[in-house]
Amino acid sequence: MAVIEVENLRYRYPQQTEPALDGISFTVEPGEFIGIIGPNRAGKSTLCQALVGLVPHFYQGSIGGRVVVAGLDVHRHPVSEVCRRVGLVFQSPFTQMSGAKFTVYDEVAFGLEHQGVPRDEMIRRIDHVLHLLGLWEVRDRNPFALSGGQMQRLAVASVLALQPQVLVLDEPTSQLDPAGTSEVFTAVTDLCRQGMTVVMAEHKVERLAERADRILVLHRGKCIAYGPPREVFSREDLPGLGVAIPPVTEACRRLGWRLPDGTYPVTVEEAVKIGGAARGGNPG
Amino acid sequence: MAEIRVEDVHFHYTPGVPVLRGISLTITPGTVAIIGQNGAGKSTFVRLLNGLLKPVRGRVLVDGVDTRTVSVATLARTVGLVFQNPSDQLFRSRVLDEVMFGPLNLKLPADQARARAREALRQVGLEGVEDKNPYDLGLAERKLVTVAGVLAMDTPVVVLDEPTIAQDRDGVRRLGEVVAWLKARGRTVITITHDMDFVARYFERVLVFQAGQVLADGTAGEIFTRPEVLKAAGLEPPQITQLGLRLGLSVPVLTVEEFVAAITGGR
Amino acid sequence: MNRLRLSLYVPGNTWVHRLDPVTKLIMAVVAVTLVFLLPGFGAAVALLAVSLGVLAAGGVLRRSVPVFAGVLVIALTFVVVQGLVYPGNQHPALTLGPITFYREGLLLGLRLTLRLFNILAATLVLILLTSPADLVESLVRRGVSPRFGYVLVSVLQIIPNMAAAAGTIMDAQRSRGMETEGSLWTRLRAFIPLMGPLVTSSLIATEERALALEVRGFSGNRKPTFLHEEVIPPYAWVIRALYLTALILAIAGRWMGWL
Repeated sequence: MAVIEVENLRYRYPQQTEPALDGISFTVEPGEFIGIIGPNRAGKSTLCQALVGLVPHFYQGSIGGRVVVAGLDVHRHPVSEVCRRVGLVFQSPFTQMSGAKFTVYDEVAFGLEHQGVPRDEMIRRIDHVLHLLGLWEVRDRNPFALSGGQMQRLAVASVLALQPQVLVLDEPTSQLDPAGTSEVFTAVTDLCRQGMTVVMAEHKVERLAERADRILVLHRGKCIAYGPPREVFSREDLPGLGVAIPPVTEACRRLGWRLPDGTYPVTVEEAVKIGGAARGGNPG
Repeated sequence: MAEIRVEDVHFHYTPGVPVLRGISLTITPGTVAIIGQNGAGKSTFVRLLNGLLKPVRGRVLVDGVDTRTVSVATLARTVGLVFQNPSDQLFRSRVLDEVMFGPLNLKLPADQARARAREALRQVGLEGVEDKNPYDLGLAERKLVTVAGVLAMDTPVVVLDEPTIAQDRDGVRRLGEVVAWLKARGRTVITITHDMDFVARYFERVLVFQAGQVLADGTAGEIFTRPEVLKAAGLEPPQITQLGLRLGLSVPVLTVEEFVAAITGGR
Repeated sequence: MNRLRLSLYVPGNTWVHRLDPVTKLIMAVVAVTLVFLLPGFGAAVALLAVSLGVLAAGGVLRRSVPVFAGVLVIALTFVVVQGLVYPGNQHPALTLGPITFYREGLLLGLRLTLRLFNILAATLVLILLTSPADLVESLVRRGVSPRFGYVLVSVLQIIPNMAAAAGTIMDAQRSRGMETEGSLWTRLRAFIPLMGPLVTSSLIATEERALALEVRGFSGNRKPTFLHEEVIPPYAWVIRALYLTALILAIAGRWMGWL
């Protein structure tokens, strides 16, 4: 039973002539980790917001098609209801801080308080997510005194604490250093293993290639590819469309290093296997 | 064209909480990337280079002039700094006017300022948007507008704080072309970034910052082939360099092209 | 980081700090009301002594000194002016050359000063010793709309944040060669490059924040729960009782004409 069903989704922002999303269809199974990639303005953020209903409820504009997430028809239910099952983390960490809480710990509590979560449960969840995202040491700091990277992790933690069935993240690591990025990806992968479904828009394709179950490629509001990373990144048409692919895939493509199934490697591990064999047979 | 000497620089915002702890180095024309974890002091360091911040100990000399003795506006003729967040500076309703702001501050005549602004916009690949409102552009393009704003000032030193955030593949490439163009003209380009591929492809010298100190200072090839140094700073080499190391290539590779050349050339 | 603080709250762990915000609100309101109900000199002094005692117990007496000192300057002019020109002046108290101060005027001035100090001391209990976030939360528990509470608290953070943003914007523009020091004209010209980004970025931030709050269930209209338990220490009830008794007695006194 799919947890996300998007059917022929079309959307145009008010006062725009071009559609932001143009006939998108895909389904996601529970516990999957989906990466959304594509050049800027391809519709990544819009799609993220469409999964929780901010598109169209908040922005208005004209919408068509069907979006069902965690059993709710998003177009027919208010955002406040959808958000009890689907969490969304935005790009800019600064504006996701509530502004009404004076410590990191209390900031995580903000959403829980407004969803009426009992106090004991609240504390259990806050402790858990702060440890999970490496924020336990800064729990008493003011959210606005954190670095951009810490704030970004706090934004993720605050939404995770709501324990959504589906977590949607819009470029959650843009301000993070490599170590912080790894932390977020590790946390997300663990959550998927526990049954949470994750959809993440991201520019860091080599990270997605390593961790995501499937990659959805957007281009000018259309879904031009959807499948396992190796299959998607092996497509010949992506570079020409301004879609980034992992450097190792690019290298293997140029060298013709294919895996037995005909795809190109997308991780260092896969490339080492193939490359080692290719070079082993002909040591330089 | 310009030389920046940093001599035993210490800095803190609050006494007792050091941010920079004794940095000494000289920056000459060429490309320099500053990498390191969040909170390592990178942004603070570049704000000392154009005099926005003054060292609490030690000194910064820009072409022999101590930054303590001149105003930021004066130093802006030599060191141009592009901030991370474009909404910290965009205020005109037309892209062209926005880009002209810097040159006009340098007291350039309007027609000359306009010519430079158009040229700078062309550099960053934004010709055709001169008359648009910056806020009708996407975040990535707005960032390029701020880069153009500093390019138009034609400073010997250009500092970019996290320019690749929010840029897609083409945007990063465009920024790389700007870096290469500046370098070819004998300028100094300094960038702070978390994007190791960007560093590997376009920057010669790499400074690794760690807890307010310079942990390593060397060429990109040297730094990225020392995984232990990078690991200590919470970083890792670009993916293609990792692949090269894992396959035991005899030369460090920093880009896909170098990798392919090393493999095919080795045969 | 140097951050401008809008709240003057001084954190601590004295018995005054441990009092719940509502008790402190009662203390402040009652004390201010008493100032106007109790006409006598002695009563005013006693009331001031109580409020100062509370401030001292909260460990913020020294911190309040500058505030009192500032108000003292205003109060002194009061005393001097009333001593000189109060229409009821009859008995000369002090003569300095050609100037004569009168007893009635000086006393009136003194009484006004005491009143001012009393109001100040009572409000400082609330301002210095009560966390504004806790106060608002207590009010939300008692039925104040969470939206209204949010606005009150967020202003405490958003204004300092805007000040910090203004600092960054100033730095960004100076880096583009804008002069911010020098003549009035130079400073005035720096105004638009500073205010433009501040207003635009605040507007953008407001919209983005509204979205972010929405997805965290802010407008779900559920009855909120609270992370922090409201602890009302037993002695808070004693204090509330004392203050309210004093208030009732004072009202009764005025009513019956005892005072």
